[in-house]
Amino acid sequence: MRDLKPWLDLIFKRPGRLMVGGVLILATLISGIALLAVSGWFITETALVGLLLAAGVAASINLYVPGGAIRFFAVSRTVFRYLERVYNHDTVLRLLTDIRVALFQRLSLASRSLRGELSGAQWLSRLTSDVDALDTLYLRLIAPTALAALVTFLVVVLASVLFDMRTALLVGLILLVALVIATVGVYLRTRHLAARQSDRQEALRTAVIEHIEGFAELTAAGRTGKHAAWLMRQAHQVTSEQAKADTRVGWHLAGSHLLINLSAVFALWAGFALFQVGAVSGPVLVLLPIALLGIAEVYAMLPDAFAKLGATVASAQRLNRDCRANVATADVSTVDLPADTALLAENITVKHAGYAPLFTHFNLEVQAGERLGIIGHSGSGKSSLADTFAELLPAQGKLACRDRVYLTQKTVLFEDTLRANLLLGSPNASDTDLWRILELVELAQRFASEPDQLDTWLGSAGNRLSGGEARRVALARVLLNPAPLVILDEPFTGLDAETRARISKRMDGLLEGKTVVSLAHGPDALPGTDRVIYLRG
Amino acid sequence: MAEPRADGDGDTTSATNQKAVRQWLLELARGNRLWIRSTVAAGTVAGIATIVQMFLLARIIHLGVIDEVPVAELTPLFLGLILAIVIRAIGQGFQARLAARCSEQVRRDARRRIHKHWQATGPVELGQSSAGTLAREWIDHVEALHGYFARFLPQMSLAIIVPLLILVLVFWLDWLAGIFLLLSAPLIPLFMALVGMGAEKLNQQHFETISRLSGQFLDKVRGLTTLQLFGQTAGAAELIRKRSDHYRRITMKTLRVAFLSSAVLEFFASVAIAVIAIYIGFGLLGYITYGPADQLTLFSGLLILLLAPEFFQPLRILSQHYHDRAAAMGAGAEILERLNLPVDSHRPSELAGKVSARDVIELDSVSKAFRADHEVLLDLSLVIHKGDVIALTGPSGGGKSTLLHLLAGFMVPEKGRIQLFGELPGSFRFGWLGQKGFLVQGTWADNLRLTTPDASDVAIATALRNVGLGPLLDSRKDGIYSAVSEEGQGLSGGQARRLSLARIFVADYDLILLDEPTAGLDSDSEVFVLEALRKLAVAGKTLIFSTHHHALLTLANRVLLVSGGEVRDA
Repeated sequence: MRDLKPWLDLIFKRPGRLMVGGVLILATLISGIALLAVSGWFITETALVGLLLAAGVAASINLYVPGGAIRFFAVSRTVFRYLERVYNHDTVLRLLTDIRVALFQRLSLASRSLRGELSGAQWLSRLTSDVDALDTLYLRLIAPTALAALVTFLVVVLASVLFDMRTALLVGLILLVALVIATVGVYLRTRHLAARQSDRQEALRTAVIEHIEGFAELTAAGRTGKHAAWLMRQAHQVTSEQAKADTRVGWHLAGSHLLINLSAVFALWAGFALFQVGAVSGPVLVLLPIALLGIAEVYAMLPDAFAKLGATVASAQRLNRDCRANVATADVSTVDLPADTALLAENITVKHAGYAPLFTHFNLEVQAGERLGIIGHSGSGKSSLADTFAELLPAQGKLACRDRVYLTQKTVLFEDTLRANLLLGSPNASDTDLWRILELVELAQRFASEPDQLDTWLGSAGNRLSGGEARRVALARVLLNPAPLVILDEPFTGLDAETRARISKRMDGLLEGKTVVSLAHGPDALPGTDRVIYLRG
Repeated sequence: MAEPRADGDGDTTSATNQKAVRQWLLELARGNRLWIRSTVAAGTVAGIATIVQMFLLARIIHLGVIDEVPVAELTPLFLGLILAIVIRAIGQGFQARLAARCSEQVRRDARRRIHKHWQATGPVELGQSSAGTLAREWIDHVEALHGYFARFLPQMSLAIIVPLLILVLVFWLDWLAGIFLLLSAPLIPLFMALVGMGAEKLNQQHFETISRLSGQFLDKVRGLTTLQLFGQTAGAAELIRKRSDHYRRITMKTLRVAFLSSAVLEFFASVAIAVIAIYIGFGLLGYITYGPADQLTLFSGLLILLLAPEFFQPLRILSQHYHDRAAAMGAGAEILERLNLPVDSHRPSELAGKVSARDVIELDSVSKAFRADHEVLLDLSLVIHKGDVIALTGPSGGGKSTLLHLLAGFMVPEKGRIQLFGELPGSFRFGWLGQKGFLVQGTWADNLRLTTPDASDVAIATALRNVGLGPLLDSRKDGIYSAVSEEGQGLSGGQARRLSLARIFVADYDLILLDEPTAGLDSDSEVFVLEALRKLAVAGKTLIFSTHHHALLTLANRVLLVSGGEVRDA
């Protein structure tokens, strides 16, 4: 439960909205209960007065107040319900924004090496569902529970005023048990099932994907049936646990309704005793049990919400884990850079956590203005080395370098305009600068012919561009950046030899005076260099 | 943000589609009729118990207040009341339990059907869709059927049965009050449709917004490292906030309208209760002289009032579950689309005609076309002897892979006959190595025992060493019992393919088919794969592979050129 705290803090940053939303829900609930209770009171009153009138006894009844109240509550229930739904959905959407922004900020502060493990479509889709679990926390859980407690309290107060303290306390006690059964009880009985659900489902997904990827091999080996049977069992386990949780929710709901109904029966029974000694009138006697029956609707949503709480806590746990702050892992002793050196690595070890080191005792000194090429076949650890220079990968040893800009081996473009993608490299660049750099990577013509020019939308992960085009946009973005040290990992992926040669030549001019460290699988994939080193994995 | 999409693709196609989906859902329901009926039965019991509860409640109040019967004499009625309440709770509980079981069965059923379809489709066709998509269909889309079968479908029946029972009772008590309820009844389908449309729109709108927002958000998270490298995280956070807020405003505009339709249902229920309460009150006072009003008693009046909300309650619940229907329809449409994809149905189940010798692979005038006008293989006849090492070469698209797929039984020829060692393709176990290696999460041993469950530890270790994974194995603490991918880092493409090759080693198949076994491998892996294939060839296995690779061609004792629908010795 402690895992929810940071997210609850975030939600309660909007106390005003939550309060207004809560009041609207309360008004809806009270209107519903009051409509029935007042109607019950009214009918009993009229029945009694009707009997007197029929018997010829002069009796009078005020029809306007109850009649008006009934009409008012009928309308107010509808109006408040509508307002409540509109207002609270607005709140939920606001909370969604708050949570996403906060999560993004936290993730961006979190340890980079940790995030390396967390990538891929599966993690991202899980992140989405985890966030979704949190942003409905207020509307599904917090508000209904708080209001159920408040309405219960109000009804108990009503009972003590209309009936007596003893009845009120007993009714309160029964309702309290009903409330606990519908909330905490459900949570405790489904917590483990719900928390496991997401992990089970992910494990199942991995297994299904593996099954499909190996379908040809499994078919050849005559094992698809066996393996599928195993998958079916896994899937069945997930669904049957879910069914178990659903069943428990159902019984808890039934149990809490049972108690609510019993409290109404008890109130009626106790009321008769008071009625027969003349302590309460007939209409009042009817009002309270009917009001109590109305509580059922107030409690109805709670068990479902609490059944999801276990999963919500698990979601919060995962998000908190993803956001773990950087625990100073890198024991890099910073060294002072000599004036004419752009990058200095002394005795560094490059390794991924849990793996054998890729390089040990690695030494490298790059002079300012130097063009260094690093060549190594795929798997030689060249990208890890580049990551280390860019401090994406913690290194052990002495490492120092100037302000740098880094073109990663993987092309990362955002679903945004071309302009927005390029401006990441240099936020203050003018349109002229952007066109100039596009000219350099031979994309100016391509985008000049687009109707939106610089505002051309680059679709999902840049998928409106070919691989070579996307690579050149990423390269252009790096070239825009003013940093004195440029690290390029396979800058020309997806480009043919001629284009590569032309761009490489222009880059020589543009990067005049800067230090360039470029890495590639072969010499022809490098831009101009003064010195080349070869990596042996 | 996802690129702006055009809304809807033709209403006519989606209408027929919807019908098919509804039919498919009904078919699933029919298979689990018993569960659905029991769920409805339990709900009906709860509904009847509720009516009895209200009946006794009204009776007790009438006797106590009007006839001033002492409490002690009311005890049997009170006990009956408690009994009704308990039965109601038991009915409710069983309804939930049976509904959960029902949906469990339905989902299992749906998964089985999808898997059957996968098997009928075969690995080649299945490979046209991404594993992620197929997994989503099998897991998430089937899960999306849950609410429909557990909640919506039983509630559809209950929303008719329970109100009908109440209506009959109210008519018996006071036909005028019954008419008030009945009047709202023909309107109910009408506003249910309204609510339905609203709910559907709401659902769609909500879904679109959520997916766009999360797309936008995930895009930024995905590129977080890049944003950090450029020092732009703060700007990105601000962008997420702005866009989210923008979507909120758009969504709220539609929600304001969509919520109106559900407010209509709420309004009807409230007004009906108010009208009935006031009618009964005036009737009891004797102000209403026509109709049955003068027969009203506190008992009948109160009972009608207590039943009025119960009359609307099943409908309100149904409208709450409406999104379950929308979700199931959406998921069902995608599943059905998959199930409706054609499969090779004319798979021969037994050997037709003459049976060829047990030591040859024989193709007899085999033709295979993907489209009517595009024959990949034409009238192909070929004999391959046991123990041969056959290299298939030729231009890409020439039919090398098709020939391998036919031999593997992954595809069925349009014409002709294929027999391998006197048996049908796919009817016995053989080794297959595709262009992508395949591994499951687990240990090295798990991975090899996947296809050869009874392999010994020694055999597994030997097989892994045979494909050059020995050094990697030695670097792991628990040898073959250490996890293949540790710390979230998997094997390289070449290593994965070698792992697959190790499976073939450990299984000891007579026939091994390989599709471009060295394509795209780094030089280390290439050497190991070549060496491994050589060992298999020496061991007398029949190897058939497609390749352009020179070293592999020299390994073969027969090279076949596959080109333009023909196969000839090169």
